[in-house]
Amino acid sequence: MYRVSDPDPEAQNVPEPPAEDDESLLAQVQSGDEQAMASLYDRYSRLVYSVAFRVLRDPPAAEDVIQEVFMQIWRNPDSFVSARGSLGGWLSVVARNRSIDLIRRKRPTTNVDDVPLASPGNLANEAERNSLMELARTTIHKLPREQRKTLEMAFFDGLTHSEIAEMTGDPLGTVKTRIRSGLLTLRKAFQP
Amino acid sequence: MSAGTPIAFPNSGPPRHPAPEDLTLFAMELFSPEEAAPLARHLDSCAECRAELGRIYSDLALTAASVELESPSTSARQRLLDQVAREKKIIGQPNQQSSTPQTEQRKESKPQPAAETAPPIAAFGRSGSLFAVEDRPQKQTGRTIFAIAGWAAAAGLAFAFLTQHKDRGALNNTLATQAAQLQRLNADAASAHKLIEAITDPQAVRVTLTANPLPKAQPIAGVTYNPSKGSLIFLASNLDPLEAYKTYELWVIPANGTAPIAAGTFHPDEQGNASLIMPTLPKGVPAKGFGITIEAEGGAQTPTPPIIMSGD
Repeated sequence: MYRVSDPDPEAQNVPEPPAEDDESLLAQVQSGDEQAMASLYDRYSRLVYSVAFRVLRDPPAAEDVIQEVFMQIWRNPDSFVSARGSLGGWLSVVARNRSIDLIRRKRPTTNVDDVPLASPGNLANEAERNSLMELARTTIHKLPREQRKTLEMAFFDGLTHSEIAEMTGDPLGTVKTRIRSGLLTLRKAFQP
Repeated sequence: MSAGTPIAFPNSGPPRHPAPEDLTLFAMELFSPEEAAPLARHLDSCAECRAELGRIYSDLALTAASVELESPSTSARQRLLDQVAREKKIIGQPNQQSSTPQTEQRKESKPQPAAETAPPIAAFGRSGSLFAVEDRPQKQTGRTIFAIAGWAAAAGLAFAFLTQHKDRGALNNTLATQAAQLQRLNADAASAHKLIEAITDPQAVRVTLTANPLPKAQPIAGVTYNPSKGSLIFLASNLDPLEAYKTYELWVIPANGTAPIAAGTFHPDEQGNASLIMPTLPKGVPAKGFGITIEAEGGAQTPTPPIIMSGD
């Protein structure tokens, strides 16, 4: 991860050493390593910020959310253990929940300990992360329009199923089914 | 939120699992506390549903990953690292002093190489040079040097012990001070929390007292704003109800002529009261005035005319 520039041009073709995995960085954060914290931030800040920005549409507020989410990691790295799956996935869900809390102007309801995740893939690797994000985008864009709209209203706008039903005129059951179906389609797209 | 489909779980009989659709809404935190409570109780005792909840969270992470990537400002990184530095962790260090008792060193028949990580005091007496002197035929000189070295080592250990003792005392004092400070902050936070709850609680009764009854109450709002801290408290009453899918939005109009800053959306309750308490705002922005517009649900990035209420 900490590459030293090599004056030999041929040596520049040597593949980059693999980045430290999240677990190792978290262990270093646990022992107070500020550089490891910076590495985690560099790895995931864009994802976390983008999720918060998508919900809040307000750059300063979204930056407040990333500050809060990453400080949670610094203060209590134990709140995430590898058994919870992907750190990137966990961070993005926590960022979304915190942003929705801000929209509703209420105190945080997400206890970081309460978010278990089945692993959605290796978000630590940048190439894999980009590929995963591209597939997620494509899959969501391919959803039937009403299904996608309903899922986005619930996830990114934090509207309850009752509010969505009221806004769209659809029955409550239809709204619930659309949200569930959209997520299942996404799940299937990532199954081998 | 208006009541959704009731979720009920029997206390006895075979376990009845919640519908997957409800688990999804639970994971998205879209249930009211009353709706979520029985589901949470069921999850406590049902491994099957917890596993499905984990899969749903994973689905939500994928949904989150579908966003278009944006970059936070470079100052956000520095801000985080500054905060991290301010909250440095105190990591326990192994007690090296006790790891090499002096008596054991003296019993050693052969000199040992000094460990690279050993501090000077611990290394003292273990390096080859001192014991090499002892092996020389000039016994008297060797004994003298050994005695001096022994006293020096003892003095060094005593000094190290006193220093550590003093450091520990200072650390304890710091911890006690911080604990007291934390207690004060907790008390302040609890008090502030009660105040905010009293202001924002929809169950609270709000009454405007006037000398004479007014013919028709006009919408009125007040803003308390501290630009240096970016703190704002907004209270309004007699607001007209809104059409569905519409929201009121408060704007801070900067004194420097830059674009208005959205301070938050709000809906009046049945009595026409509304409030915004400490919305997230940038610090150091003096305001020329404040305005309220009606926007589509979710708010807008720029105010949509007309400004229905304003104040300088």
